[in-house]
Amino acid sequence: MPTEQYAYELSLREILPLLDVELVDIEGFSCCGEPMKSVNQLMTLYLSARNLAIGEKHKLDLFAPCAMCHLALSECKYVLDSNPEMKKRINEMLDSEDLNYHGDKGIVHTVDLLHDYIGIEAIKQHVKKPLKGLKIATHYGCHLIRPSEIGRPVHSENPQKIEEILKALGAETAPYAQKLDCCGASLLANLPESALTKTGQKLKAIQEQGFVALVDVCPWCHKMFDSKQVKAGETVAAKLDIPVLYLTQLIGLAFGLKREKLGLELNLSPVGKLEFG
Amino acid sequence: MRRIGVFVCHCGINIAHTVDVEELTKYASNLNGVVVSKSYKYMCSDVGATLIKDSIKEFNLDCVVVASCSPRMHEHTFREVVSDGGVNPYRLEIANIREQCSWAHSDKEKATEKAKFLIRSAVAKAQLLEPLKTSNIPVIPEALVIGAGIAGIQASLDLANNGFKVYLVEKEPSIGGRMSQLDKTFPTLDCSSCILTPKMMEVANHQNIELFTYSELAGIEGSIGNYKVKIKKKPRYVDLEKCTGCGDCAAACRLKDRVTNEFDMGMGKRGAAYMPFPQAVPLKYTIDSKHCLFLTRGKCGETPACREACAQGAINFDQKEEIIEKKVGAIIVTTGYDLLDPSSLYEYGYAAPDVITTLELERLISSSGPTKGEILRPSDKQKPKSVTFILCVGSRDETQCTWCCRIGCMSALKQVYLLREKLGEELEINLCHTDVRSYGKGYEEFYRKVRGLKTNMFRGRPSEVRDMGAQQKIDIFDTTTNKLFEITTDLVVLVPALVPRSNAVDFARLLHLTLSGDGFLLEAHPKLRPMDTFVNGIFIAGCCQGPKDIQDTVSQASGAASRATTILAKKELEIDPLIAAVDEELCTGCGVCVEVCPYEARILNDKSKIAEVNEALCVGCGACIASCPSNASIHKNFTKKQILNMVDDIL
Amino acid sequence: MSIIDLTSMGESQSELRREINERLSKLRDEISDYCFQCAKCTSGCEAHKLLELEPHKIVALLKRGLIDELVNSDVIWTCMSCFKCKERCPQRVAPVDILFSLKNLAVLSGKEIPGKYTAMLQSVLSIGLIQDVQSVTTHDGKTKKRDELSLPSISKPTDTAKFQMALSKIAMEKV
Repeated sequence: MPTEQYAYELSLREILPLLDVELVDIEGFSCCGEPMKSVNQLMTLYLSARNLAIGEKHKLDLFAPCAMCHLALSECKYVLDSNPEMKKRINEMLDSEDLNYHGDKGIVHTVDLLHDYIGIEAIKQHVKKPLKGLKIATHYGCHLIRPSEIGRPVHSENPQKIEEILKALGAETAPYAQKLDCCGASLLANLPESALTKTGQKLKAIQEQGFVALVDVCPWCHKMFDSKQVKAGETVAAKLDIPVLYLTQLIGLAFGLKREKLGLELNLSPVGKLEFG
Repeated sequence: MRRIGVFVCHCGINIAHTVDVEELTKYASNLNGVVVSKSYKYMCSDVGATLIKDSIKEFNLDCVVVASCSPRMHEHTFREVVSDGGVNPYRLEIANIREQCSWAHSDKEKATEKAKFLIRSAVAKAQLLEPLKTSNIPVIPEALVIGAGIAGIQASLDLANNGFKVYLVEKEPSIGGRMSQLDKTFPTLDCSSCILTPKMMEVANHQNIELFTYSELAGIEGSIGNYKVKIKKKPRYVDLEKCTGCGDCAAACRLKDRVTNEFDMGMGKRGAAYMPFPQAVPLKYTIDSKHCLFLTRGKCGETPACREACAQGAINFDQKEEIIEKKVGAIIVTTGYDLLDPSSLYEYGYAAPDVITTLELERLISSSGPTKGEILRPSDKQKPKSVTFILCVGSRDETQCTWCCRIGCMSALKQVYLLREKLGEELEINLCHTDVRSYGKGYEEFYRKVRGLKTNMFRGRPSEVRDMGAQQKIDIFDTTTNKLFEITTDLVVLVPALVPRSNAVDFARLLHLTLSGDGFLLEAHPKLRPMDTFVNGIFIAGCCQGPKDIQDTVSQASGAASRATTILAKKELEIDPLIAAVDEELCTGCGVCVEVCPYEARILNDKSKIAEVNEALCVGCGACIASCPSNASIHKNFTKKQILNMVDDIL
Repeated sequence: MSIIDLTSMGESQSELRREINERLSKLRDEISDYCFQCAKCTSGCEAHKLLELEPHKIVALLKRGLIDELVNSDVIWTCMSCFKCKERCPQRVAPVDILFSLKNLAVLSGKEIPGKYTAMLQSVLSIGLIQDVQSVTTHDGKTKKRDELSLPSISKPTDTAKFQMALSKIAMEKV
């Protein structure tokens, strides 16, 4: 992940042990390569392959909390598993780093880890402070839901897993027309103003429909909606004033954990507005 | 000693280009048993036929080998020629030197060598061919038609008018099918009921047609000319003799207006006691056992309301399912189609109440529909000020249905016309299409007319339909103007793909029918035998074979009736003798052949304890021959001895 | 046999087109041939409204072999990689994948890489990550480092020499 979203990392390191998940930190990982895809696809493939190979070396599945990383890794796995020629080629390159990709380990993201592996019931059991009456908008992020061809953790047109988790936390959810819209992060590198316009437009729509907060599961999306909320507001000439949190932060709050432990001070959007019972 | 004549065909350049025909002919003349060897450019022609017949006479031949194209092409032709010439038609062997030689190879020398082997082995087999006789089975001059939509109705009437008895089976309480759900038909804008109901009445009153409504096919045995079918009559709980169609039961039903009405595509409601539509044939009521309180819970108030209300005493909850057996000579399948559920394209927002399909709109347009012909939005029952059509929803889509539905474009245009008529000039009508396929007679004229009705045509497929609450929003890139348009509309009409009936797989299995890749019933040949199937005696017509409009359906239905008549009009049918037989001396009565036969053509005779072949059912697939442990099962004119002779000769 | 686009006098480059299709098929199966210009991709394209990207037009130009025009254009860099076009295309054409290949081709042919991509690339080549973040800022202006937040140090490639060797080899290779 873009190694600056400490809040995401903090909050998930806090809540996952409570849910019986052991996170193993391994040395040697690199960028997944997805941000470089426009420049050199082969490099992206290689970078993801080496990360998968490292995981395999330690006999572990990879947990990719970043949706973009999850996409890169999943796509890499899809290509290498279905194209033996490419697999051979990549393995030849991996050889120089003493690595080899077999394809026997999986990749998991926060959403399916929580919803499918841990399960709603287990989450419900730890809820100490239900988020009563908070109407929260969900943002899945393009890279988490598409392209369904390679297998994504959630449905591409009607994803509901985060809604179900929110319900387990006692919050309210509602569908909204812009739910599947993009945050614009991919254009931050070369066309920042357009990127911010996308962010601003979506936040504006969410605000106008009476949601009190936005929850997301990808560091890129969060960076746009949270850290860049003010700039986005300027770009679309709107006063944006909506709290944006990581799903893991919200879960932590519902579990009764302290705000500092969940990195809430690092959220630049007005999370202080939210009252937690 | 056999006197064999070999005839080698050039087939124009199809064979001659890659195989040296003259060399082959000379080679063949020196083979064991061959008395004469000739060649000709097109052996299947009149001249070729005469050549063979004259040679038979001149050289006193008793066996013929033709080296030509695949037997699938002309075996039948040559059998007739040979028979005409005075030789038993089963003393004919074909060496396929086209599909299996000249068309598969390019090296002339090698191809010719291979052709020599092929001819040689054919001659070797010919030396042992038996002069088989065909046998006859009697034909029952009655027919079964499954499905009473317009296709079934047309086929039944054609057969009945030809003097044959027809059993017409329909699973719904009334005949009429999809056409009875339509308001008007394109391109003539005929009122659908007005042109359909006279035919429905004709069917009901025809002395040669016996109607089985609310019935399904339960089982089938037998073969062409001689089928035994089981028809399952589902209980209506209404005595058809007593019911006058007055409707008192439906009016009294405690579930009145509480059950989703499938005839109205879910746009309206009915009771558990209902008649599907006012012009139903038969004009009788039915009680739906899935919803009826008395039938599902055993209790309906103090006493069932319908029974109380019926002055004729026609309600009878003791009715049971009945199985009726009939014998028929031919079967026509006309089971129709379903619409693709647009939920599989979730992005088009079918979940919203104001996003509907063409058939659902058709029910709103229909004056006997749930809104009595008023166009009202399902959400607020208000008239829409703007309607947008999206064509090709799930059609021509590699991720859904790859095929074109054929009728989508014209149905949408028809509905545009009707909406303009009903809601006037003020209504904004938008139509998003990928193409407009107006291919039939009168279709282009109709398209032109609709273009003149202030219809906003957009060429492109929208990516999604957004539910904005009171209205729907659609972004569409119009490739004709190269601009992105945002349409805010009150009612969205999706034109979904046409798909096979949901039970097509099980139904096909029951009749041993094959399905094509898209799931529709497979025709024997797409160009030359579109109504035949691979099961002799069963024909298909209408949308069960593939999507098509009403005029093509009616044409096919009449065609299928004509095809069926070629069987029914005969007193007897000749059975192809190239089927299995039992060598009684070798048969041990183990019964393996009986288990293995997919056509149920084998039985074990209780008395003699020897297996027997039902010649009417056996198609010569060879399963029993392969599995017989005692070598007692033989394939006539494909015996082990004949084949081994061919192999020995080659080696 | 020649097809010339009269507006730009560009000739159809079937060789290059075949090469692009080959690149695409190395990573994926589907190619641009099957597109029938329904424009469902453009109708839903996240970048279209703001930046005039027309995915269906890109595919059409590729089909016609007018690669140069595409590779030299700025519009190919406007794609947001949201994958909606790939998800919804009825003919399994993926304009987003075609765009990635075109961008790669642009870089290989020496065109200037826009925006921050070069910086990201250089960072990956030296430390294996797209950026070297030392600390973050809280909403009331304080800075915090990873260890101050009790977070373990970031995972990086252990043998940087081997890593850099492997990557530089790739930078040389064609896909």
